[in-house]
Amino acid sequence: MRGDTPRGELDRGLEEVRRGFLEDGDGLRAATARAAQVDGLVRRLWAPETAREPVLRSGIALAAVGGYGRGMLFPYSDVDLLFCVEKSTAKIAKQPVRRLSQVLWDCGIQVAMTMRQPSDCSRFDAANPEFGLSLLDLRSLGGDSELFRRLRDKSVAKMRQRDAKVIAAELVKLTRERHAKYGGTLFHLEPNIKDCPGGLRDAHVCQWLNGLRRGAPAPAPEFEDALAFFAAVRCFLHYRHERDDNTLDWQAQDAAAEQGIGLGARSRVDAAYWMRAYFRYARIVERCLARAAEDFGLRIEAEVPVRRLKLPANAGFVIKAGRIELAALGPSGIDAAHEPEIVLAVFAAMARTGAALTPAGEERIADAIPLLSANLEEGPGLWQQLSAILTGERAAMALRSMHALGVLELILPEFHGIDALVIRDAYHRYTVDEHTFVLIETLHGLEADPGPNAPEWRVKFRSMIRELQNPGLLYLAAVLHDTGKGRAGASHAAESARMARNVLARLEMDAYDSAMVMRLIENHLEMSAALRRDIFDAATVRAFASKVQTHESLRMLTLFTYADIAAVHPDALTPWKAENLWRLSMAANNQLDRNVDDERVHTRGSLDGTDASRARDEKIARILSLAGGDAPDAEHFLEGFPERYVKTRSAEVMLQHFAMTRHFAAEPFQIAFQYSPAVNEITLVTQDRPRLFAGMASALAAWGMNVVTADAFANSAGVVVDTFRFTDSFRTLELNESERQRFVASLRDLIAGRASVEKLLSGRRRARRRAPRIVVETRIEFDNTAAAHSTLLQVVAQDIPGLLRAISMTLSSLAYNVEVALVDTEGETAIDVFYLTSGGSQLSDAQERALREALLAAIAANAG
Amino acid sequence: MQKIEAVIQPSRLDAVKEALVEAGVSGITIFEARGHGRQKGHTEFYRGREYAVDLLPKIKLELVVSDEMVEKAIQAIIGAARTGRIGDGKIFVSRVDEAVRIRNDERGEIAL
Repeated sequence: MRGDTPRGELDRGLEEVRRGFLEDGDGLRAATARAAQVDGLVRRLWAPETAREPVLRSGIALAAVGGYGRGMLFPYSDVDLLFCVEKSTAKIAKQPVRRLSQVLWDCGIQVAMTMRQPSDCSRFDAANPEFGLSLLDLRSLGGDSELFRRLRDKSVAKMRQRDAKVIAAELVKLTRERHAKYGGTLFHLEPNIKDCPGGLRDAHVCQWLNGLRRGAPAPAPEFEDALAFFAAVRCFLHYRHERDDNTLDWQAQDAAAEQGIGLGARSRVDAAYWMRAYFRYARIVERCLARAAEDFGLRIEAEVPVRRLKLPANAGFVIKAGRIELAALGPSGIDAAHEPEIVLAVFAAMARTGAALTPAGEERIADAIPLLSANLEEGPGLWQQLSAILTGERAAMALRSMHALGVLELILPEFHGIDALVIRDAYHRYTVDEHTFVLIETLHGLEADPGPNAPEWRVKFRSMIRELQNPGLLYLAAVLHDTGKGRAGASHAAESARMARNVLARLEMDAYDSAMVMRLIENHLEMSAALRRDIFDAATVRAFASKVQTHESLRMLTLFTYADIAAVHPDALTPWKAENLWRLSMAANNQLDRNVDDERVHTRGSLDGTDASRARDEKIARILSLAGGDAPDAEHFLEGFPERYVKTRSAEVMLQHFAMTRHFAAEPFQIAFQYSPAVNEITLVTQDRPRLFAGMASALAAWGMNVVTADAFANSAGVVVDTFRFTDSFRTLELNESERQRFVASLRDLIAGRASVEKLLSGRRRARRRAPRIVVETRIEFDNTAAAHSTLLQVVAQDIPGLLRAISMTLSSLAYNVEVALVDTEGETAIDVFYLTSGGSQLSDAQERALREALLAAIAANAG
Repeated sequence: MQKIEAVIQPSRLDAVKEALVEAGVSGITIFEARGHGRQKGHTEFYRGREYAVDLLPKIKLELVVSDEMVEKAIQAIIGAARTGRIGDGKIFVSRVDEAVRIRNDERGEIAL
């Protein structure tokens, strides 16, 4: 009867193990119990052999090695047995060992047996590393105990001691090869929980490495938790698949979540939540392994060249041998790990150089999170530091490290919701947080030289990213764009934007930068959506362009969309898609400044039901609600402005402009000035009068300011809002704080005609001009189809200080009225668009010809 | 058995897929392609520079169906891909001698 056979007995024992697992879900206990069952069987089967052949009572020792040696046998794992024999016993032991093997196979156990003499086990053989590694987990099962002691305490101990470094190097090499098979990432949709990075095999490598080193610290509690989790999952998978199959496929994920496998409470959880737990544990293992390797001076991932960086003597850290070492104390005498400025500077240095933190430094920062939290100051300083990290070439590496240590969530708690969050569709490869980092990596990758045979789109995308006025904004939008996925809500883009609003407020970013980041996040899916439509259809392009609004937004959204698609899956962004993206970007670019003069706000009855108009109407409603009792006047103020004005300004900014009109009686030229070390912004609100735009452009030129972007709009009541964003070539405003007030007063005098622009210009030293990297040919175009009552003029020219003044002075000298002005700079190219009228109508052919000549002459004279 | 190859506008892909599924077609292969027919290309200007768009993005579909399904599938594609403008695409039909299912060596229409 089967019940009396060794197999029957084993099956009964294993059934009990299975039932135990089903009851308590404890994978470690189940694996230990199966090992104990097999131990019993092996001993029971070996006893008759020694009875039959008494000579085998000495000279042969039975040992468990590998996973079995650790005393852990998962339900369908192989069993590795080592027969350690004296030379004299080797021959006589052969038959009994073969018989034992036979019966074990008959019992359904996949057994691998090795017979060795102790001396075979004293040296690590690089040609057969698996055997050497299996000896690292050695456990006696019976037989000659004296022989076993000799094997363990002499031979194997000798190998461990003498060959520790060789073994460690081999372990790291094998691990690296295995990781390469899985694309070097733990973020798989259907991971193999044994072999994937961060899986059980990595956990064992970590244990072996630590076991090879004297004085290695005891395993961290979170590592033990990860082991327990993986053990439960592996048991679950073995029972489910009824074989040694460790693939966590979709169905298995659902079933594991249903039973709360590995989560202790054994209650049903959401599958996405359960996978999050999986990735969290995998990350713990990955990090522990990296540290264990680091202790041997080894790195699991291939070494990357570290860039040099000159650091000030009191930086609070140094870069030595490619590692960032945190000083014990910072310049102010407190622990460097407790000073947010130093810690953030460490990550900025990491982003610039690619140097990793030492494990000790990592630990100190992770331990200091509560103190860092207490010491952290928000505001522009924090944004400056964050921007330095985001714009560094190796930003993704720095962000991953910050995320792992808890620093990223300290600065941006909004990121917590997407930590290890799985998107459960067959398209996404990575968790949401990792997707964000891959996206940022892809963006930085675009900055690299694509080589001589690169396609047109690749070359153009590179110049786009290099020419961004403030690339930090693109990267910040990238970090925040999916944070809404962690929240319930119909649209994650809208939810992310809502969360981003808080971040931008904490960083105290100026209105222009905030609006740019917000627009990018809100619209981050729009370009992908437009790509699914006919990108050569004018209506598609027009609809898309109306959502983007400005050239800088379009550049950022194009780059963002490229990287966002590429970061979904390694094969998601085909050259075909990239080319279409570039075509759409080009088409939208040509569409962007058309129709601006015709599309105007009518606060009553303007609803047309489109997404873009809904957003605009919501914004108008917000302004009116903020205006309170002044709502009717605010409504009057908004009436007749081009929609571009409303779409590119926040409600708060427009309300400020409205408030400025209230003070016309005291001062007809209302000026709002915002200083920034990077790009300054000045807004003039006044009643329309001739030469106003030219006057502003001239006044700024007279002060040596270089206009980067500008726009000028007017409402039905003839109130104009002219905004200029400019850099300060001579750093006048940066170096002399008192000059800022004088600058505003002087501008007001210049526009009002109370001071002479010419006088100021003649006294100003000319900026030293660098030879341009690319030469831009001047190009002048007129279009009478872009607006019903005005002529669109587009000037593309080399961006040289004074250009805008030269153009706008020419326009006003010929008495053309600027209805709308849109000024942009792309690298060394200035693109200025004006909607002009002459006596309230479009320009005639003759007027256009004359204007062209006059402009060419003025631009040439300015360049002269 | 016949093979239908269709070149269509990328924006019509989802509609064509749906129409084919509705018509009872079980498998299609899709390629991202570039090309032009009578539509030729056009020139785009970007910031004062000229870019020739001579090859336009297209989607190419391939499906093999039984003889009696051919017309149904063609009508499904036409119905979903037609916008009436130049560049809507083309359909090519050719005979297929044999189909083999690699998994179990089934042959002929049963392997489709």
